[in-house]
Amino acid sequence: MTGRIELPQGTVDLLILRTLMTGPQHGWAISERVQQVSSEVLSIRQGSLYPALHRLERRGWIKAKWGSSDNNRRAKYYELTRSGHKQLETEAEAWRKLSIAVEQVLEGA
Amino acid sequence: MLDDLKFRVRALFHHSEVESELDEELRFHFDREVQKYIARGMSEQEARRTARMAFGAHEQAKEDCREARGTSFIELTLDDAKYAIRQLIGNPTFSIVMILTLALSIGANSALFSVINGVLLKRLPYPEPDRLVRIFLSSHEFPKFPLNPWDFLDFRARNHSFEAIAAFTRGDVQLSGEGEPVKLNGFGITSGYFRVLGLRPQIGREFDFQSEIPGNGLQVIISDRLWRTRFGADPGIIGGKLTMNMQPFTVIGVMPAGTEHPGNEYHSVAYGESVDVWWPFSFAGNSSQRGSHYIEGIGRLKPGVTSERALAEMNAIMAELAREHPNGDSGWRVLVIPLYSEVVGATRQMLLVLLGAVGIVLLIACANAANLLMARASARQREISVRLAMGAPRLRVVRQLLTESLLLSCLGGALGLLLAFAGVRALVFLLPADFPRSNDIHVSWPVLLFTLGISMATGILFGLAPALQASRTDPKEGLQKASRGTTAGKHQNRLRSALVMAEVGLASVLLIGAGLMFRTFLNLIHLDPGFKQDHLLTATLSLPHAQYKKGEQVADLYERLTTSLSALPGVESAGAGSDLPWTGYDENSGLTIEGRKPDPGEGFHARYHMATPGYFKAMGIPLLQGRFFTAADRDGSFPAVIINHAMAEKYWPGQGAVGKRMSFDDNPQKDSDWLRVVGVVGDVKDQPKSPAAEPAFWWPENQAPQADMSIAVRTSSDPRQAVDGLRQAVRQLDPELAVADIKLMDQIADSAVSTPRFTFALVGLFAALAIILAAIGAYGVISYTVGQRAPEFGLRVALGAKRGDLLRMVLAQSAKLTIPGTIIGVILAMSLGRVVRGLVYQVSPTDPVIMTAVVLLVLFIALLASYIPARRAAATDPMTTLRTE
Repeated sequence: MTGRIELPQGTVDLLILRTLMTGPQHGWAISERVQQVSSEVLSIRQGSLYPALHRLERRGWIKAKWGSSDNNRRAKYYELTRSGHKQLETEAEAWRKLSIAVEQVLEGA
Repeated sequence: MLDDLKFRVRALFHHSEVESELDEELRFHFDREVQKYIARGMSEQEARRTARMAFGAHEQAKEDCREARGTSFIELTLDDAKYAIRQLIGNPTFSIVMILTLALSIGANSALFSVINGVLLKRLPYPEPDRLVRIFLSSHEFPKFPLNPWDFLDFRARNHSFEAIAAFTRGDVQLSGEGEPVKLNGFGITSGYFRVLGLRPQIGREFDFQSEIPGNGLQVIISDRLWRTRFGADPGIIGGKLTMNMQPFTVIGVMPAGTEHPGNEYHSVAYGESVDVWWPFSFAGNSSQRGSHYIEGIGRLKPGVTSERALAEMNAIMAELAREHPNGDSGWRVLVIPLYSEVVGATRQMLLVLLGAVGIVLLIACANAANLLMARASARQREISVRLAMGAPRLRVVRQLLTESLLLSCLGGALGLLLAFAGVRALVFLLPADFPRSNDIHVSWPVLLFTLGISMATGILFGLAPALQASRTDPKEGLQKASRGTTAGKHQNRLRSALVMAEVGLASVLLIGAGLMFRTFLNLIHLDPGFKQDHLLTATLSLPHAQYKKGEQVADLYERLTTSLSALPGVESAGAGSDLPWTGYDENSGLTIEGRKPDPGEGFHARYHMATPGYFKAMGIPLLQGRFFTAADRDGSFPAVIINHAMAEKYWPGQGAVGKRMSFDDNPQKDSDWLRVVGVVGDVKDQPKSPAAEPAFWWPENQAPQADMSIAVRTSSDPRQAVDGLRQAVRQLDPELAVADIKLMDQIADSAVSTPRFTFALVGLFAALAIILAAIGAYGVISYTVGQRAPEFGLRVALGAKRGDLLRMVLAQSAKLTIPGTIIGVILAMSLGRVVRGLVYQVSPTDPVIMTAVVLLVLFIALLASYIPARRAAATDPMTTLRTE
């Protein structure tokens, strides 16, 4: 648990959008995948995951659909919309710029 | 954007679907977590526990999702409202008590606000009413006096402050034609009267300067109502003739509906559409005689001119006039009073005091509601603890509880509004006859808004403290305690006791106010009026000038009428006078008193009246010295006069006024210029509330005939039985005469005290409401603490305490609440005494008898309210209470 970082809201949105780029997923899978890919450093708590999903859905960046999961239970799957793709590009770009800039400042100082 | 809207709409209208989807989604997540932990080798129980911990607060997450959907506000409110309705239905006694007490107090506020809105807040029904002012004169002796016609003409010609000024004077007319002659409310007006008011005839025109010239007076403008009811709204009426006072008047205009009378001081008629005809005032006689004052001035200021500037200019003109006519015009100042102040001035204080009283009732109702809510919040501690433990944010709990109190107050407000509709009708019915603008009092839009406003404010005011307090509940402690029956913290008990003390204090203030009003009312009705009001029938008669041109004709009719009335069976005495007591008559005359000189710049004045020989006997006004008039006091014998005690004391103190002489001439030369005092009668005040009787004198009707007289008939049995006899006696003498204003003197006397009675009735009603609310509050707190202390009582009984001891303990606790409350009330009432000073009569606002009576009454009621719970405490069965512990 100690290596984990609490994520600010904007970052949660970005991670969700990026995770959905590979295809529709339900909420639990999204959080699992983020945790996996980030080598257990990043974890999205359920308390921020679902509100974020609902918020992204309201903005029209993701779409929800009910489908059946691998163990045959009904689950809510989210998928990236076209405007979601665009949003992901913009946000990823912005994030990269930010992290490079922050890195530069840290190095320079 | 569109997606966003669709999403929100779905979330809103398919609310339960969306909610269950959310539940399902979260449950799915949870189950997957559990599976994950099981796969890692945990037992199922352990897996569930770990998942629940990782999961965080479930309710909070749902809340955040709702928020993220962007519809949370409406959704939550609907949710809260549904929940609140369930709570209220589940607790009907509580809900009914709450809603009824709130409805009564909100309804009382709305009803009174309707009065205030109609009378004080609504604009006067004229264009740019702020520019309208009334013009009066004022002297050392007469603070507010009508104008002299010639002075008015000079004011009109010389001023630069007014767009227009006009004058008017009451003069009713008798309309004859088809059927019985009817008496109509009429006013003589100068040209420009309607222009001042900003009104125009709907057909025809207003009077011009020509119509003010004597001889041109046979013209009339009629009201819309008269036009419609009497003339079938005939547009061809202009130029037609009306027979009024037996003379043909030409109709020159019809005023539109909504032409409201701006009010008048002398022989006043009600505000509203109360005038039927307007006839042209004509300026007749000698323009250098400026002693008689009987017309009332009204003016419209030029834009941008203040009433102060107009006042300064008018006083400068008055000073010029005083130099030009030192005899009649010296010693006067001009008063310029904004029409609004003139109309509402006298009632403003009373209404504001009543508003204060009814506001206090609402405050008490709030305290009471807060009290009941707090008692209930502690009973609901368990429920609230559960919600908090489930992760509901505190704000959410506060919101829920506030929704409940708002629902209560709005239901109370809605019911209160219904009460207000009924209440306003009752209020208008009870209003004193001379109350301004009573026709403008309705439950209108501003009243609805006001009701909504105070309902919301009330709900928040009484709901906030209990809600905040309940949300501070510690869930752990709450749940533990709840399993053992409810108890509230010390803090809450203290707050509730403080609320009851405040309620008791405020109720005491109102009761003291009601006591003062009651004393005032009693003082007024038990006052010796100076005449006998019972067994007295009154009416008015006016003799049209066309038929009764000569004074002898007038005098002869009244002499014959009073003689035939006196001969009627059951009639003890009958007479006629220029006026009746307590009807607002206050005509004055300047005098010369033999052997006395007035101070420079001042003169001798007294009220003048006319009377037939039987008048004083019929009125029951006692003779103090000398004699009453007789049939011998007529033309040819010496001019006689009867004066009242106040006049005798003022002008002939301690010397016996009978035989002394006075005159209306400034320089009486001949013997016939003098009037000799033949009798002194007892004092009658202008109004029951007047501080003292004004000096007054009476002329014999036979020597100074007056055409408009009031008839007084004293009977030995029910005076109503004399009505037919009176009508018949008049008809026998002249079938064209209308007998008007047939009233019992009892009724007139009664309406003279209608304002104090009205104030007393309302303050009394509010005080009763207040003390009932306070009693409910005291009952609530005492019975709650009795419940709380049941184990203690059980223990005491088990240890040998007597029932009487327990009873005393509880009553002592109630006294601890109410005694400080009444002390606060008395202190408050004493400091507020100044506010009611103008409304009370012959009773001090700090009257110790009333204060003591109120304190005792309040203590008694509070003890009564706590007696029921105290009995319950005394009946404690030690076994049951200790066992439940």
